[in-house]
Amino acid sequence: MPQYIRLIAQGKYTEAYMVNRESNVFPAILGRTCDRPCEPACRRGRLDGAPVAICRLKRVAADLRGEISHLLPKIPKESNGKRVALIGAGPASLTVANDLRPLGYEVTIFEKQNKPGGLMRSNIPSFRLPERVLDEEVGVILDMGVEIRYNSPVTSLDALLKDGYDAVFVGTGAPRGKELDLPGRHDTPEDKPRIHIGIDWLESVAFGHIDKIGERVLIIGVGNTAMDCCRSSRRLGGKDIKVMARRPRGFFKASPWELDDAEEEGINIVINHAPKHFVVENGVLKGMQFERLEWDADAKKSRVIDEVFLPADDVILAIGQENAFPWIERDLGIEFDKWGMPAVDETTFQSTRPGVFFGGDAAWGPKNIIWAVAHGHQAAISVHNHCQGVPVTDRPRQGSSLISQKMGISEWSYHNDYNPSKRQKMQHVDLTKRFQQLNIEVELGFDPEQTAREVQRCLNCDIQTAFTENRCIECDACVDVCPVQCLTITRDGDEADLRTRLSAPAINLTQAIYASNPLPQTGRAMVKDEDVCVHCGLCAERCPTAAWDMQKFDLMIPYAGAPCTTSSVLA
Amino acid sequence: MPSIAKPIATHPTLQRNSLGLTIRDYEGSMSTLCAGCGHDSITAAVIRALWELDTEPHMVAKLSGIGCSSKTPTYFVSGAHGFNSAHGRMPAIATGAAAANRDLLYIGVSGDGDSLSIGLGQMCHAIRRNLRMAYILENNGVYGLTKGQFSASSDIGSKSKRGEPNRMAPIDPVRLGLALGATFVARSFSGDKEQLVPILKAAFTHRGFALVDVVSPCVTFNDHEGSTKSYKHTRKNTLRATQADFVPPQSEILAQITKSGTTAVTMHDGSVVNFTAVPKDYDPTDRRKVAAYLDDQPANAVVTGLLFIDPNAPDMHELSQSSPTPLRDLAYEKLCPGSAELERLQEEFR
Amino acid sequence: MHDVLRTRVNDFAVKLANVNGTGSASANGLLMQAIFRMGIPVCGKNLFPSNIQGLPTWYEIRVNKDGYSARALDYDLMVAMNSQTYDRDIKEVRPGGYLLYDSSWPLDPDLHREDITFLGVPLAEMCNQHFEDPRARILMKNIAYAGAMVATLDIDMEVVNALLEEKFAGKKALHESNRKALQLGYQYAKDHFECPLPFRLEKMDSNQGKILIDGNTATALGAIYAGCTVAAWYPITPATSVMDGFKAFCEQYRKDPETGKNNYLILQAEDELAAIGMVLGASWNGARAFTSTAGPGLSLMNELLGFGYYAEIPAVVVDVQRVGPSTGMPTRTQQSDLLLAAYASHGDTRHILLFPANPHECFHFAVKAFDLAERFQTPVIMMSDLDIGMNDWVVPRLSWDDAYRPDRGRILDAEDLEKKIGKFQRYHNEDENFVAARTLPGVSEKGSYFTRGSGHNKFGGYTEMPDEYQEVMDRLKKKHAAAAKFIPEPELLRREGARFGVIAMGGCDPAVREALDQLERQGTPADYLRVRGFPFGEVVEKFLAEHDFCFVVEQSRDAQLRSLLTLETAVAKDKLRSVLVYGGFPLSSRHVVQGILSQL
Repeated sequence: MPQYIRLIAQGKYTEAYMVNRESNVFPAILGRTCDRPCEPACRRGRLDGAPVAICRLKRVAADLRGEISHLLPKIPKESNGKRVALIGAGPASLTVANDLRPLGYEVTIFEKQNKPGGLMRSNIPSFRLPERVLDEEVGVILDMGVEIRYNSPVTSLDALLKDGYDAVFVGTGAPRGKELDLPGRHDTPEDKPRIHIGIDWLESVAFGHIDKIGERVLIIGVGNTAMDCCRSSRRLGGKDIKVMARRPRGFFKASPWELDDAEEEGINIVINHAPKHFVVENGVLKGMQFERLEWDADAKKSRVIDEVFLPADDVILAIGQENAFPWIERDLGIEFDKWGMPAVDETTFQSTRPGVFFGGDAAWGPKNIIWAVAHGHQAAISVHNHCQGVPVTDRPRQGSSLISQKMGISEWSYHNDYNPSKRQKMQHVDLTKRFQQLNIEVELGFDPEQTAREVQRCLNCDIQTAFTENRCIECDACVDVCPVQCLTITRDGDEADLRTRLSAPAINLTQAIYASNPLPQTGRAMVKDEDVCVHCGLCAERCPTAAWDMQKFDLMIPYAGAPCTTSSVLA
Repeated sequence: MPSIAKPIATHPTLQRNSLGLTIRDYEGSMSTLCAGCGHDSITAAVIRALWELDTEPHMVAKLSGIGCSSKTPTYFVSGAHGFNSAHGRMPAIATGAAAANRDLLYIGVSGDGDSLSIGLGQMCHAIRRNLRMAYILENNGVYGLTKGQFSASSDIGSKSKRGEPNRMAPIDPVRLGLALGATFVARSFSGDKEQLVPILKAAFTHRGFALVDVVSPCVTFNDHEGSTKSYKHTRKNTLRATQADFVPPQSEILAQITKSGTTAVTMHDGSVVNFTAVPKDYDPTDRRKVAAYLDDQPANAVVTGLLFIDPNAPDMHELSQSSPTPLRDLAYEKLCPGSAELERLQEEFR
Repeated sequence: MHDVLRTRVNDFAVKLANVNGTGSASANGLLMQAIFRMGIPVCGKNLFPSNIQGLPTWYEIRVNKDGYSARALDYDLMVAMNSQTYDRDIKEVRPGGYLLYDSSWPLDPDLHREDITFLGVPLAEMCNQHFEDPRARILMKNIAYAGAMVATLDIDMEVVNALLEEKFAGKKALHESNRKALQLGYQYAKDHFECPLPFRLEKMDSNQGKILIDGNTATALGAIYAGCTVAAWYPITPATSVMDGFKAFCEQYRKDPETGKNNYLILQAEDELAAIGMVLGASWNGARAFTSTAGPGLSLMNELLGFGYYAEIPAVVVDVQRVGPSTGMPTRTQQSDLLLAAYASHGDTRHILLFPANPHECFHFAVKAFDLAERFQTPVIMMSDLDIGMNDWVVPRLSWDDAYRPDRGRILDAEDLEKKIGKFQRYHNEDENFVAARTLPGVSEKGSYFTRGSGHNKFGGYTEMPDEYQEVMDRLKKKHAAAAKFIPEPELLRREGARFGVIAMGGCDPAVREALDQLERQGTPADYLRVRGFPFGEVVEKFLAEHDFCFVVEQSRDAQLRSLLTLETAVAKDKLRSVLVYGGFPLSSRHVVQGILSQL
């Protein structure tokens, strides 16, 4: 990650995009929609509480990149003779296609809709992810020579298998919104429903089947789908929109920034309300009855205080999604569990029937796009092994390299200064303007100044301190210069003991303490608490004997047909 | 772009002293000395000692002469005024500064060339006046900035980087200080902060001239085999004569710790230097015995510790009976006898 | 007929030749003071050796009713009390003059001169008869010859008695023996000589509003009035009495009535290197501080004077000049430190100098020196000399304006710094005189900066960059030039029909003024310019431009004032001619007149 952030800092957007694309395939899409699982891991957050805006920076690279076609993997003219069927044109299947086409596989995608993208298209509103961006990144993959069959829902896996595909990948997502079977749920007319399933409703909006909603809208549930529903409602005529949460703040599934964005648009988030029943009079939805709850401190136990009625013209249910595989015959050798989920190997993504693989939400239920992509890469490796007669369990190993970054006195290959800037705030389109059309992208992206500032917040944590004890003369220079006091020279001990004798308290117990072998002059140990290291390199800079060095760690991730070179493979 | 500036990032749980300051608030600019220089460690010890003493940065005055050591005041307490004077002249500047304002903490940083050669006289006279200052002699036995000449503290037989041995006897600042009547004499090692920090705290509190000789290896010109001021040689030959703790006044544990130590010396402001380890029959307040003890040690021993202290000797201001209000703060009205007195006085000039 | 034989009232010169360490100084001082109290213009020059006991010492008293106070080289009366120097002393008596000697021993016939009158007084014999203690005999011999002079010159005995009473108030025995000795000499002279001599004294009233004071005492008093609290010095002739005086005044005026403590601190340094260091340290820290020294000390101070100049730290140095080079003649006077002081230190340095001409100016210039040092944040050297510093001069009474407050220059206090946005920058934002504000230690963290003698830029940061270095150096030069407007204006004396100008400084003044009167009487009127400080200002430039040529009268072999003028003004070198008197004794008008006339 720091690698592409450094490339952005150097203005090499195209290179940064390509570094990014290698693993996540959809930088422009993910740069807008990602759940950002990487940001909590970002070390910057340990220092000033706010991680680097990694996600936003991905978008910067995507927005500003140049031509990439010449940088994409070459697609062989000849087929390798193997045919692979991918079910569903979502991120998982597209990733599989992306990895297999350069190897000469003939890839066919079956898609029930008339456009590719899966939930990226159907469930993410266009004001968050413009269609143009989606089309472009999906198009890059389809242009690799993927055959895609639109309007082609697979209704029988058995039938598909009989078509003689060498392998089948199921990437159909978790297409079914969870139902809320409370009294009154089915009392509104089916042809003019006022109670909607969130993901279905979003899909209808995405494909233009729905273009308005009542003024008073209740959204049930407070996950990211709920956020998309309420904000879409805001754009389709909703005025008094409430997101109804059972539990207090801090226990929501929605990403904090999604909540912020919704509230910025005037959405009301109502906590501690459990839906009791729908109120429908004469087939007309009037609203919903809720129980008001009081929770204990960790929101585990609740007690009902009273009940309230909230009027509504429409109710949208956004309480989760489920998988559904009615189209997979149960006698194909594919085992399912009691919840109707297929048994899928967590490493190989293969089902109990060799040659049939699952990935994305279809494998273990709803997660997010970045996971779907990761699944796709792994499944592609399996498909490749399977088709080449290699056991799918025979996984290529990850590789790594460590290279010193010292260039001279006070010279490092990277920008080692610590930039005290706060995390940059995303600029949004004016509230008045953004509701004029459904597809006006709300986030403007970082401007160049913001980008410049944000990239400098990166601590370059791939460039690590490396210590060679037999060179150390125990002059204390590194200990003295460390701005975050993470170094200590002290008598050796076990980790718990060492933690009591550090220059500054080691607060993150999940981060192991580094302790060197005995030092030559006194036999003490060099101890480092890695936790808040800012990778400034001053320990190495001020080390007279180069006992400390800054070395760049590169993790090499293998892809289908592209193993890491043996010398760099991790033991 | 590479940067040599020390990041302003701080440890999230960075402690604050009673003034609400972190240890980082006592830093100065980034050192431009060679990487691994002992002087930088002493700087770090000064920073720690001042932070632990809750010293207000602006109440410190940092003074130095010329040489590698004398560059270091730039590297600590940027909130204090600094004075990088001329070679060997820091004691005089400090004397004048202290004369003008007796309320500041004067920290002088000097080296063996600055103090034992060109400025030997001035250092001796500052000792003689018992000028209230902490005088840190960063002793590396070599001229660094002029690239490796022997200094007046080079030991007999110590070899230069080119292998040439020194043949002249060294001037030992500790013995010199004792002989001149210095009221606080200590020696430590830049690589031993456990010992150095409490010594510095005591020195900063001492009401008088606190001479702190610190062996501080020069990694570039005097850290080789054959040098007697190298990290290795110093570590091998260090003889920790005393270990002292510094206990500030009004401390609850004061009484307790005073009892537990081998010897406790109460400083002028009520703080206590608590000697937790001293050789048998060693009395850090008995100048004669301390000198005798030093005589008894092997020639190559680097005897360290707070070796002698006389907390009650009057300092320069007391000797001079000068105003308790800093002279520079006296109102002009108090200083000028006025026209009427001038008229009267001139009757004597007839 | 010899001049001497004409009766002359209040216009003559006496020289007293003594052995030093015999107590003659107090007898001579007594005579001088008595004449002063008689209201007669008088000047006394002590020509003493660099020695404590046994070498020849002279004292000259010139009485002149017109107020000329330079040395007179024609002695009407020689009081020859040193047999070792009889030869020389007898020769110096002007024809027709008198010589008073101790006739306890016969005079060597070889020394006899026909053209002068020998007045023998058996001083030793008389003292031996009347005083038993050997030391008292020596001391009283001096008072005895003073008694003889009271008679021969017609000094007012009442005045002398009053002085003795003041001097020995509370010391009855001493007073009595002094009175006795005085009476012995007086009576002997009355009994044996025709008293008074043809030249004698007569009461006048010209000393109203005047005092008798030496320059070093006046300088010390100036430092007291300027509010100086720290002084550092190393003993050296002829500057020592500056600090002796300062100490005495401090004991008198600076004991705090409330605490009983000293509101001053005098540091007797280990050497002048340290003395100037202490002054810089104290001034840097906000006290008014000064040192006094002479040439050898100034040489040692060169190193740190450059530091003070470059780091812009106030300092006041009083240089009481003596004869150089090297140890030279420590008890003789000269003006030969001028170039050393002007450019003291290595590198491009230049200092503000003040040239007092008499003790009155010593007092006021000392105060001025502190104001200039702080306003311009730089060392200021007051160039006094032995003649001004150690001889008693009759000068106008000193006056003091109680409204005076020290000019502390640009100093940002805690309040100013609180208002300041961003970091304080030491050598930036200069005023119209190219002075940047400074801050004092111990006031506020916001004012902290690093004082250094190493290369620095205008922000006070270390630099080795040519442009940054030059920027600061160029400002320093402009700052020095700007000081010209603040130093005391030159004194200008124009005469009708002047053909040329005469330029002098400091202690040459009385001799030059007298000489110019004489030249005018001889038909050679000349204009006079007395420079009172450096850098030179417009008045000096104008004076040089207005005259076809000028004589520069000064007390150095190498014509240092002339050199400084040619270096620092637009004057062409060949327009300046030198009159140089540098043997170590103060000059007389004769030196000047002869020096000028010989070059016309």
